Amino acid sequence: MFAFILQRLWQAVIVVFAMSALVFCGVYAVGNPIDVLISPDATQDIRAAVIAQYGLDQPLWHQYFAFLGRLLHGDFGRSLVYNMPVSELILSRLPATLELTLIAVIFASLVGIPIGMYAGYRPHSIISRAIMAISILGFSVPTFWFGLMLIMVFAVQFGITPAGGRGETVSLFGVEFSFLTADGWAHLVLPALNLSLFKFSLMIRLARAGTRELMLSDTVKFARAAGLSEFTVLSRHVLRLISIPLVTVFGLELASTLAFAVVTETIFSWPGLGKLIIDSITSLDRPVMVAYLMLVAFLFIVINLVVDLTYALLDPRLRKGRA
Amino acid sequence: MSALLEVTNLKTWFPTARGEVKAVDGVSFSITPGEVLGLVGESGSGKSITGFSIIGLIDEPGRVVEGSIKLEGRELIGLPSHELRAIRGKTISMVFQDPMMTLNPVLSIGTQIKLALEAHEKISAADARERAIKALAQVRITEPEQKVDFFPHQFSGGMRQRVAIAIALLHRPKLIICDEPTTALDVSVQAEILAEMKELVAELGTALIWISHDLAVVSSLADRVAVMRHGHIVEIGPALGVLTKPQHDYTRALLDALPSRAKPGQLLLRGAGIADAAPPPRKSATANLPPLGSPYLVIENAVKRFQKPAGFFRNIAIKSGIAQPAPVVQAVDGVSITLKRGEVLGLVGESGSGKSTLGRMAAGIMVPTAGGVLLNGKPVMSGGRSARKITTRIQTIFQDPFASLNGRMRIGDILAEGPLAHRLVTRAEAPQYVQEWLAAVGLDPTFANRFPHQFSGGQRQRIAIARALAMQPDVVVCDEPVASLDVSIQAQIINLLIRLRSELDLSLVFISHDLSVVRHLCDRVAIMYRGKIVEEGEAGPIYDNPQHDYTKRLLAAVPVLPQAAE
Repeated sequence: MFAFILQRLWQAVIVVFAMSALVFCGVYAVGNPIDVLISPDATQDIRAAVIAQYGLDQPLWHQYFAFLGRLLHGDFGRSLVYNMPVSELILSRLPATLELTLIAVIFASLVGIPIGMYAGYRPHSIISRAIMAISILGFSVPTFWFGLMLIMVFAVQFGITPAGGRGETVSLFGVEFSFLTADGWAHLVLPALNLSLFKFSLMIRLARAGTRELMLSDTVKFARAAGLSEFTVLSRHVLRLISIPLVTVFGLELASTLAFAVVTETIFSWPGLGKLIIDSITSLDRPVMVAYLMLVAFLFIVINLVVDLTYALLDPRLRKGRA
Repeated sequence: MSALLEVTNLKTWFPTARGEVKAVDGVSFSITPGEVLGLVGESGSGKSITGFSIIGLIDEPGRVVEGSIKLEGRELIGLPSHELRAIRGKTISMVFQDPMMTLNPVLSIGTQIKLALEAHEKISAADARERAIKALAQVRITEPEQKVDFFPHQFSGGMRQRVAIAIALLHRPKLIICDEPTTALDVSVQAEILAEMKELVAELGTALIWISHDLAVVSSLADRVAVMRHGHIVEIGPALGVLTKPQHDYTRALLDALPSRAKPGQLLLRGAGIADAAPPPRKSATANLPPLGSPYLVIENAVKRFQKPAGFFRNIAIKSGIAQPAPVVQAVDGVSITLKRGEVLGLVGESGSGKSTLGRMAAGIMVPTAGGVLLNGKPVMSGGRSARKITTRIQTIFQDPFASLNGRMRIGDILAEGPLAHRLVTRAEAPQYVQEWLAAVGLDPTFANRFPHQFSGGQRQRIAIARALAMQPDVVVCDEPVASLDVSIQAQIINLLIRLRSELDLSLVFISHDLSVVRHLCDRVAIMYRGKIVEEGEAGPIYDNPQHDYTKRLLAAVPVLPQAAE
């Protein structure tokens, strides 16, 4: 197990470095931030001074190694737009995205899995057909449209919830979270629902397919032959057996939502990472983009590592080989 | 004595797009307490569905359309599901065929036993654990205190089946339905389980319905035997009577299909009259072949080891002593054996003995770790074009005809693929060639346009044989070619092999765990145990007078049918 974790962390380091090089070159090709930063009527002298200040007059490889050198000291650089350290900027936005995506993914799993299992358990009932129809809808409806409809109905028409923004926050371990206040929840509900729709449908489909297959298996037949109740069969046998593919998807979805909740965050003006990256792309805020994409790569690796470790927890057959 | 279970005119049907499939169609029998009833039949005869009907676990959309099942006078048909559930596992329990599939791989044995206990009584965790340990001890699992925390994958197949039996016995049921419980196990394990089952049943006074396709297994256990075919019981009576003086034609045919009832090498009675044509003429060179009876395929000191490769960090961990290297599995451990031209060599052994690995090395599919395989003096696996030419002379027939044929290819393409690749036929000749081979294995030549899923297991195995022989090999390695087939189909395939072998002067390596089939088909036999050949020689003497202890044990474990008084 120790060697396994070490190996994965080693891979993580390599991937993050590869990512930094790729992003650095890619962002360099996108455009020159100076054009955005200073007013067009600035003199040639001011222009040259600013370029020199950000080190943009150096060749690309020189800039990259300077960046790596600062990185080793934990310095991701300063945002060109906000004029504050990138690490500070990202950390101030991370909790908002984190709480939004976690709530969305957890909601999708807690509701989607039982519903999907029911649909797999009674595949021909009317309720199951309705569930499957909803899940197809969830797959096919575009996120932005569903988000706008949510705002239209609940915020504009009925006025139950606010239309956007983040609610009141409470400081927990020095980080601002909004899910501890009533106002925070009111702001959270719509974006979380919007974000979870696709994942919810995915969980339903996966849980249904797994359950349907397992209900015909000898394991379930044998459990029934021993007189186990249907609830015990589902909750103790079937759920444990379908949990491995579910955990895989849970991990992947969590990571991709964390990284790319852009659409939802834009619609609901949620002050999270998605909005930050969109803003920094439009203003060519190079340091923010590089740091953000490195963080995303790192998050994917960490979440996948956790998923792999969870496998071993869920399936005893995987424990032996790596112990 | 009054009946424990009384089944009258049971009909279980499955509606399909093409009308009702009458899986069980009017079955009646009864069992007295403590009695063992053997339910025998081929696949599709309805024997398993009968068992599932009794315990009320018919898969949808199947249902019992008519008849009655009475347990101690109480009607089970139409009982509400919660009352049926109270009976399942408590009064009637069931053991299934494949212990790999029945136990939940992610729950410990103790947890699974606890769930089965909780299904019928309120019990504390500590008591449940104690009961689980006792239950494991009862089915002769050593060190039950430790084993109770094991997971299924930590047990062998036989041990898993013992756990399943322990779960079935938990609540001292009056009836246990066993659906082919020893079919997936090795003969020696089967013999142990049969003996233990016999003892347990006698000790607890439990009645038993033993469902099996194997007449010999049933005869060693059952008081009475019922023979099923097409959803009907064709014959029922005391075991000895049914098996020695069968009244019904079908029972007689089943018995005649058994290789153990015929003289070695003879065609078996059933499956004899299948229409067949002569195979197409040979096109590959026969000039350099040695005469029949001289050494042909020589395996010299072949060794095959398997080890999981370690990654970069694992290697460092192993070198610095943090981790252990993956264990080396010595599948074949220095085997030397010679196949003479025109001979049938039987390779016998239980699972894990290395017989299939040896067969694969002989066929050139797998490269030996050490040692060599020579065909007519030339190495089989040397790489390059000449080696490819040599390997076409050796073909393989695999066990599972469902897995070994590509489901997306038409039969004609499957058969023509190899011969075209090696230019044995031209593209223009191929269709004709394929049809000739289909006729030679007793299939309709027009089948060339069909897909594998349109055929039964026996037909697919014929196709697999045609595919191997269409390459015009001299040697055919048959890896358990009849193991997954019903006895009557098995008899047909055996007959086909006997015929083609003599017509084509083939040399066969016949790998099997079934001692009676090997005896019937093989001239010489090699017994494998843990990667080594422990005994080798002419078939007759080995069977009549085994020398090695393992051979003796193996032969003793084979259940034998009572022989009819002539």
